[in-house]
Amino acid sequence: MKGGRWITETGSSTYLSEAVAIWFRDLRGEFRTRYAVNAILMFAVTTLIAVSFSIGSFRIGEGEQPFLYAVLLWIILVFSALSGLSRSFVKEEEASTMDVLKLSARPQAVFLGKLFFNLTLLAALELIIVPSFILLMDYKIELPGLFVAMVVSGGVGLGGGTTIVAAMIAQASARGALFSVLSFPLLLPLMITAIKGCEKAAVGTNNSGWPEVRIAVAYSVVMIVMSLFLFPLIWEE
Amino acid sequence: MYSLKVSNLCKQYTETYLFQDISFELHPGEVMAISGWNGSGKSTLLRVIAGLVRPTTGRVEMFFKGESIAREFRRRFVGMVAPAFSLYEELTALENLEFFCKVRGIGYDRESCLVIMEQIGLSESAGTLCRNYSSGMKQRLKLAQALLHKPPLLLLDEPGCNLDSKGMEVVENIIADQRRSGMSIIASNERREVDYGDRVINLSK
Repeated sequence: MKGGRWITETGSSTYLSEAVAIWFRDLRGEFRTRYAVNAILMFAVTTLIAVSFSIGSFRIGEGEQPFLYAVLLWIILVFSALSGLSRSFVKEEEASTMDVLKLSARPQAVFLGKLFFNLTLLAALELIIVPSFILLMDYKIELPGLFVAMVVSGGVGLGGGTTIVAAMIAQASARGALFSVLSFPLLLPLMITAIKGCEKAAVGTNNSGWPEVRIAVAYSVVMIVMSLFLFPLIWEE
Repeated sequence: MYSLKVSNLCKQYTETYLFQDISFELHPGEVMAISGWNGSGKSTLLRVIAGLVRPTTGRVEMFFKGESIAREFRRRFVGMVAPAFSLYEELTALENLEFFCKVRGIGYDRESCLVIMEQIGLSESAGTLCRNYSSGMKQRLKLAQALLHKPPLLLLDEPGCNLDSKGMEVVENIIADQRRSGMSIIASNERREVDYGDRVINLSK
């Protein structure tokens, strides 16, 4: 064992190193239990299959496809995220590990760790669902760069919004319903922006979709920065 | 070096006072015991001291070389074990300790963790998932987690909970070890555990 009291060495740790420790712990736990992944992917895949079989590429006129496909894609992504991303905080409460975590980690590090975990889940969701949606629906995208930027920036905003709401509802009794009810108005502006951006990427007339990407990036930055300030208040009693 | 000062502590839920006017000071080498009936507020008092719960009135201050440590930092100077706490069941015992080392910023040293595992009698099952542990083994691991950063203040809420006689010896050794340089507060109804204290606060009165 090292000499002296270890407590004197805590000054050397950074928020980022603590956040990474929480992120990797959550990933390791998720890899072994697959609670959140199963919930998100089951919802996403069944919705995608239902949409592709019931609508397909031939039921919608070519002129309406860019808008309606963008709507369907973001409905699948947002509601899949809502089905599982609350687990990041809820599982701490359900497993009675919240107090030990409160005693061990600084609030901002906990928020960042949970955010990284939720962003990892969202990245996996988007990597599976977006290409599958494009293939199954025969989704033609004229500006792939803009489309990817929109999906990525929208995903980061989605992760930021759902993480802070998950922290807020973790200690409530009706968590599931509360998570959707609180998240939806918070995510609606982002969802509308992302739908517009994806529609413009599909139409591809010009690069006029970038304002939507900028709005999504600004939304994500504001959401994450504000959450970092607000989270200690939520995390405390 | 470190000291604890609790002044006029009071916790009220709705219109009922759980405890009132609790005041004491604790210095290195001292052990305080808190006893009382079920529901008298022993666990809540420990949670207030740890900084997990805000008191209705009163103050808890921790000092390092005479300077007060802010509440948000105080938690990191505390090691706490309580029946209501759990560790991560989907991780092994060693992975749990690794996580708490990293998240507390003390750096993970496998050898040091194995020494602690040996001290609490879990060295042979260090690689076992915690969900497969018995309740006594989980209690021992909780003790290891609380000792990992060698905290100046150790808060033990019913430390002998689920432990056999060998486990109780481990608790005795931990308290004796902590007495050499740190402070301890034990909340319990068990006569044997209350007797570890140099002073006793009875919340039943």
